[in-house]
Amino acid sequence: MKRFIEHQELARDRRFIRQANIAADLLATMPDDVNAVVDLFEKIGPVIEAGTRGTAAEPLYDRFGPAFTLMTLNEPIRPGEPGTEDRLKMRMHGIYVGELQALEGAGRSLWDFPDAPWEFKMNMARQCWDEARHVQIFEKLLEHVGGEVGMYAESTFLFEAACADDPALRVAGVNRALEGLACDVFRDNIEFAKQSDDELMEQSMDYVLADELTHVRFGSEWVAEFCKDDPERLKRARDFRRETDRRFNFGGARSNEEGAAIPIAWEDRKFAGFTEEELEDLAALGGEGPSRATMKQAIEILVSRFQAGSAIDEEVAS
Amino acid sequence: MTETRMYPGTGKDERTTFAPYSAFDIPQDLRELHGRYDVETTARRVRNFRYAEEWMMMMLGGWLATVPEVPVKTGLGKIIWEGARAADEFGKRLPELRCGKRAAESSEAGNQAFADFIQEVAAPETPDLSIEKLAGVFDVLKPHLLGLYERHMRETDQIADAPTIEILEDIARKTERHIAWGHEVLDRLCDTDAKRQRRHARQRELTELLEKSGGVTGELALDH
Ligand SMILES: [Fe+2]
Ligand SMILES: [Fe+2]
Repeated sequence: MKRFIEHQELARDRRFIRQANIAADLLATMPDDVNAVVDLFEKIGPVIEAGTRGTAAEPLYDRFGPAFTLMTLNEPIRPGEPGTEDRLKMRMHGIYVGELQALEGAGRSLWDFPDAPWEFKMNMARQCWDEARHVQIFEKLLEHVGGEVGMYAESTFLFEAACADDPALRVAGVNRALEGLACDVFRDNIEFAKQSDDELMEQSMDYVLADELTHVRFGSEWVAEFCKDDPERLKRARDFRRETDRRFNFGGARSNEEGAAIPIAWEDRKFAGFTEEELEDLAALGGEGPSRATMKQAIEILVSRFQAGSAIDEEVAS
Repeated sequence: MTETRMYPGTGKDERTTFAPYSAFDIPQDLRELHGRYDVETTARRVRNFRYAEEWMMMMLGGWLATVPEVPVKTGLGKIIWEGARAADEFGKRLPELRCGKRAAESSEAGNQAFADFIQEVAAPETPDLSIEKLAGVFDVLKPHLLGLYERHMRETDQIADAPTIEILEDIARKTERHIAWGHEVLDRLCDTDAKRQRRHARQRELTELLEKSGGVTGELALDH
């Protein structure tokens, strides 16, 4: 078996539909400009549409057009609000496939780095078991909110963005950026579960969050260990993690701002070895790119243009 | 000439009234001293076992990404962790067997042929080869290890090498469970004659290689 694989090589059974996630990548480099966001999403509309065909997101695309991805990302999920049910299913599905990719990432760290220290292998092996349990937990939570595996397309961009060939960069990407994102999302979802009196979700997610903090800690400790005599390597690991985090901000959807769709889990992250300085930096990254207000405006324009276009199409057809 | 046994804390003329043994109904210790393996041999075998467990969990880790069946991915997650713990427990025994503190992290292939055999078990990689991947580990390698673990437990000095036996007992119990799981999965995956054929072919091919290598300790031929 070769060492290092591409994200296209991740194997799935036939329930899964694969989709390229160009939206998150492009958003990472977008300026804070309404027209730029509108142009971009109109341009990549066909790709977004293709990713929804044959999935539960198809009706959402038909109704809102390419902006539906932004709508699901940009606003926090609150119990009882319109669209919450669909967005919750989407989020659970997103977490489920994220856990699968985290499982695969941890497993590949065992195979890709055969000469790594034994303690590192123990940590990665433990992570394999934890992520395997998380996959099982989120399969159940997905059912709990009325969803099922394969109902939405899967983008493997988490694996793609986080996996690197240098073990220091790999743990920086997978264990600090990807797992850190998981902490943010889980903390937010635990709050959601509390507000909805959903004890089943609250408790199981809290256990998962405890595991994820352990994984982030593995990352914090191994980056330090791998780079202890090599400031150049430390810088590369830090830059890689920053770049990965920039992509995981989804155009500012994750940030430290009031009302962010995914707030940064500050205290949890500190517990897992993030320094105050790193967290400030992460918050600053979240502030780059389009603001929430920009996104909101862009969404309005995109939706009204899409709906106007659909109305014309219908007229022509009739 | 028989001197009365003294217990700690008692004076010379303060004799205990307890008879040393017979007053209690304790079954006689029937275990015999001396086993098939001396300290050095056991240490080498433990390093060999560790090598197999370590590589096995590493290859299973690599396959998580390339087996398409989700329940196989999640089932392997736990087996990987138990494999790592097995290797870790073997490692911790090594300093106790006079190998030095740093030996806890050392694995050693029984010989080059066994190292080559391990790479052959790890060779399949594409998603259509789940049968070949799992047959190598669950039909060939793990049953081979289980046989040797049981043999070591039977044949080593039952009292002097009891710490190795204790480690092996736990690992053997888990290995049995892994094999049962793997067989269940393989039985389901092999739902046509052609697939069953593939499984048996892989099994035959690897068993032959394994036997030629001399097995995990490199001395299978000598053992028989
Ligand atoms: Fe996880
Ligand atoms: Fe994790």
